[in-house]
Amino acid sequence: MTLLPYAGGTLVALVLPRLLYPVLALDILLWGLFAVSVDLLLGFGGLLSFGHAAFWGFGGYAGAITAKALGVPFPVAAVVGAVSAAALAVPFGFLAIRRRGIYFAMVTLAFAQMLFYLANEWRALTGGENGVQGVPRVLPGLSVGRSIDFYYAALPLVIVGFALAIRIVHSPFGHVLVAIRDNEARAQALGYHTWRYKLLAFALSGGLAGLAGALFALGHGFASLDLLHWTTSGTAVLMTILGGIGTLWGSLVGAAVVLLVRDTLTNVPEASGVVTGAIFVVIVLAFRRGLWPTLADLIRLARSRSLGS
Amino acid sequence: MQRTIALLVATLVLAAGCGGGNVGPGGGAVKLSDGKLVIAVINDQSGVYADLSGKNAVEAVKMAVEDFKAKYGENSLGGTVEVITADHQNKPDVASAKAQEFYERNAADLILDVPTSSAALGIAKVALDQKKLYINVTAATTDLTGASCNKYTFHYAYDTYMLAQGTGITVTQQGGKSWYIIYPNYAFGQDMEKSFRQAVIGAGGNVIQSDGSPFPNTTGDFSSLLLKAGQLKPQVLGAMQAGGDLVNVVKQYNEFKLKDQNIKLAIGLLFDTDITALGQDAFAGTLYTTPWLWSMDDQSRQFADKFLKRTGIRPTFAHAGNYSAAWQYMEAVRRGGTDDADAVVKQLEGYKFSDFFIRNGVVRADDHWVMHDALIAQVKPKSEAKEQFDYSKVVGTLSAEKASRPLADGGCKMPK
Amino acid sequence: MEYVALQLFNGLANGSFYALLSLGLAVIFGVLRVVNFAHGAFYMLGAFGAYLLLQDFGVGFWPALAIAPLAIGLAAMGLERLLIRRLYGLDPLYNFLLTFGLTLIIQDGMRLRFGLQGQPYPAPAELGGSLSLGPVGYPVYRLFVIVFSLAVCVLVWYLIERTRVGMVVRASTERPELTRALGINVDRWVTPVFGFGVALAALGGVLAAPMRNVSPLMGSELIIFTFAVVVIGGMGSIVGAVVAGFLVGILASLAAVFDPALENVLAFALMAVVLLVRPAGLFGSVDRT
Repeated sequence: MTLLPYAGGTLVALVLPRLLYPVLALDILLWGLFAVSVDLLLGFGGLLSFGHAAFWGFGGYAGAITAKALGVPFPVAAVVGAVSAAALAVPFGFLAIRRRGIYFAMVTLAFAQMLFYLANEWRALTGGENGVQGVPRVLPGLSVGRSIDFYYAALPLVIVGFALAIRIVHSPFGHVLVAIRDNEARAQALGYHTWRYKLLAFALSGGLAGLAGALFALGHGFASLDLLHWTTSGTAVLMTILGGIGTLWGSLVGAAVVLLVRDTLTNVPEASGVVTGAIFVVIVLAFRRGLWPTLADLIRLARSRSLGS
Repeated sequence: MQRTIALLVATLVLAAGCGGGNVGPGGGAVKLSDGKLVIAVINDQSGVYADLSGKNAVEAVKMAVEDFKAKYGENSLGGTVEVITADHQNKPDVASAKAQEFYERNAADLILDVPTSSAALGIAKVALDQKKLYINVTAATTDLTGASCNKYTFHYAYDTYMLAQGTGITVTQQGGKSWYIIYPNYAFGQDMEKSFRQAVIGAGGNVIQSDGSPFPNTTGDFSSLLLKAGQLKPQVLGAMQAGGDLVNVVKQYNEFKLKDQNIKLAIGLLFDTDITALGQDAFAGTLYTTPWLWSMDDQSRQFADKFLKRTGIRPTFAHAGNYSAAWQYMEAVRRGGTDDADAVVKQLEGYKFSDFFIRNGVVRADDHWVMHDALIAQVKPKSEAKEQFDYSKVVGTLSAEKASRPLADGGCKMPK
Repeated sequence: MEYVALQLFNGLANGSFYALLSLGLAVIFGVLRVVNFAHGAFYMLGAFGAYLLLQDFGVGFWPALAIAPLAIGLAAMGLERLLIRRLYGLDPLYNFLLTFGLTLIIQDGMRLRFGLQGQPYPAPAELGGSLSLGPVGYPVYRLFVIVFSLAVCVLVWYLIERTRVGMVVRASTERPELTRALGINVDRWVTPVFGFGVALAALGGVLAAPMRNVSPLMGSELIIFTFAVVVIGGMGSIVGAVVAGFLVGILASLAAVFDPALENVLAFALMAVVLLVRPAGLFGSVDRT
């Protein structure tokens, strides 16, 4: 467990909003956490959730509505978002886990879409097409109105979320999860109630996505249907795969790359779909390992070269 | 990153270079806060409202800038004038994010246009937070001068109240007493339903029922609502859908032969581009309210000719409204000698003016609604058209007072 | 009361599209083990094909019904050879993701070219009128869609259940290794079957063009409903796909009578129920993943 990624990551996180437009830096941070939640499930549980926007969005709306209605400090709203999303993940997961592999992905996608329609209908709560506008963010004692201030205020929560993911992966629970991913029948033969592990992983992953989504809504002052859209789910999966499945760090890198590419191309007529789709196709066909393992390989190569010669 | 720095340096150099010669004809120098004026046009450029405003609205604003410079001199505004644009895809969150980015990252001084009422309201909040100017031209929600009013937001061309007072009252008075209203289920449609319901009941009619349709409507299928109309049998079907959605409603209204069942069609908001999509005869006889028609007088026709040459189509009132609003903004900057938002607001409040788009115009200081006369128009059958795009004739006018919602009903609380 | 009956017809019309799309999806999955996310995009391309044939070549609806699916099916076969077959050895999730990426490219590409607001496409004159069903008129064209789709589904069922080609397809679906061991070249059928499945989707698109908005996103929500339908019907089952398609269409429209909001949600609620009670789907066999 090398210390380099942690030190480097923290440094980058601290400096990012000074290098980039602060809102973009915030987006990278939060989408990164979202992608980490997807990777937790996919890389370590072998479950591709293609409807994770359900939790990102549900957490987003929960956090936004809480903040707007109760005026609580934003970390409270964020935690409400996380817990709500985790709670939602239980029934969703319970039904979805009854299928495996590609069916699981389709079911999660379908449930997320159902949530999208429900949010659109329940206008009194969600504002429907109008969304929840004017979401306030407060932190007693500090001013978090400016984007850059909010970034630094939200950073500790994101770090906690990420640390949780790392902890889960390295825990006994995480190891059993990987065993289930590799050979569920054998794990069952060894006496593990595999569906319980999968369900718990699903709930934890959903909670992380909800935390990220709530912070996103608070950061943008807005919760809208876009948070629940299937393209949002797809983008998160793309970030995970681009970064490298099963690496956690890779998801952060993947998020940064996708968002930076999108930002650079803003001046070109909005072709984000073509670009995102093209990246997907190329990655899946030719670069399934992802960026992080490739990066790690390069570093290892550089090190061995310097040692060998 | 390097690209951003390069862009920044280039902009600074340009701005420095253009610093000279900034004396306006009035003798008073115009001093710009960062050496340039940035006008941002945020609208729908690929969705249901792309035709009625969209890229051509950006052209209209560019035309206004060019004509202004031609009239008053290249440096009459104390620096360069830049027009930037973004597609908000009819999404309020995208609109808000783009508005914030334009104000913060691109130093935009003004945001124009913004169709789609939910997006319009989102940007009003951003304008207030950033303390920068926002003149909405193409959204209809009365909330812009009501519950969501603020110091930096102005509402320029029309709103649901104006449309309901014109069309709702006229159609009811002409005998259409019972109504079934269908509307797109977001801020605009919900507002239209409210305004029309009020106007119809006020004129002695009644609304049997109202139903919302999804927005955006990916299927374009309004059949279940139209079937319901056939079942309810109102005298009037009030369709509040706009743009591409309206085209589908009218198409299916004809498909289900509702006219043969004596269910008249009243349209809340109609643009020339909608008529182009289905052809004049599909709409012949329809009464509607509009702030402006390109064929209404010589001044308007002059503008329309220039626009036709530049874009290939005649302007909708959204295109003309953007030109007019951009012009009036630049005039306000010239009058006040600065682009500082608070100063421009002072220049605009209470300002009385008329141009080819606005007649008897007054910028109401209390809620920033731009009062002006409106027209009641009727679509002509193709046989009566004298040239291409000659779709409608004026059958009545709505005075500025009648067309503007009374202040007391608005609920705007703007701190002074 | 007539309103309910008319909504039923609406439901059958909608169900026709679900049925055609899930049929194609099921056939492709059966033989290739690929869940074709791009199925909705091909449906959209079918509709645009009809529109462009009319717009640019003056070719009407009836020829378009044959030309567009054929052309798009052939194009899809090229896509399969070029891209999709590279991922056969891997987890089917990768091909799912590949087709997802293709969907984004196709949809956004069409959006850039045509915009989102939709192109007009008229119903053919022969089918233009409306039938008097009680006091209300119901468009003849929609009735045609119902009848035509049913006919296509029956034809495909016949092809698969009663012909030699169909036998090979079924055998490859259920026991690919055994089929190969018996000397049948399963791989030879992979590409044409993919093309056929896509052609079914494109056919649905041509049928949809006169009654829906011909717009780049017209397939994007439909595909997710189709996924729900195949989960309900059972992925491996052809019959299940068709029955579930019409069933979902009808039930959703009837639900709309009570509350328009229920129409969209019903398919997913049904899916949840099926998952609880019979995870393999109404007609499905034990999960073969």
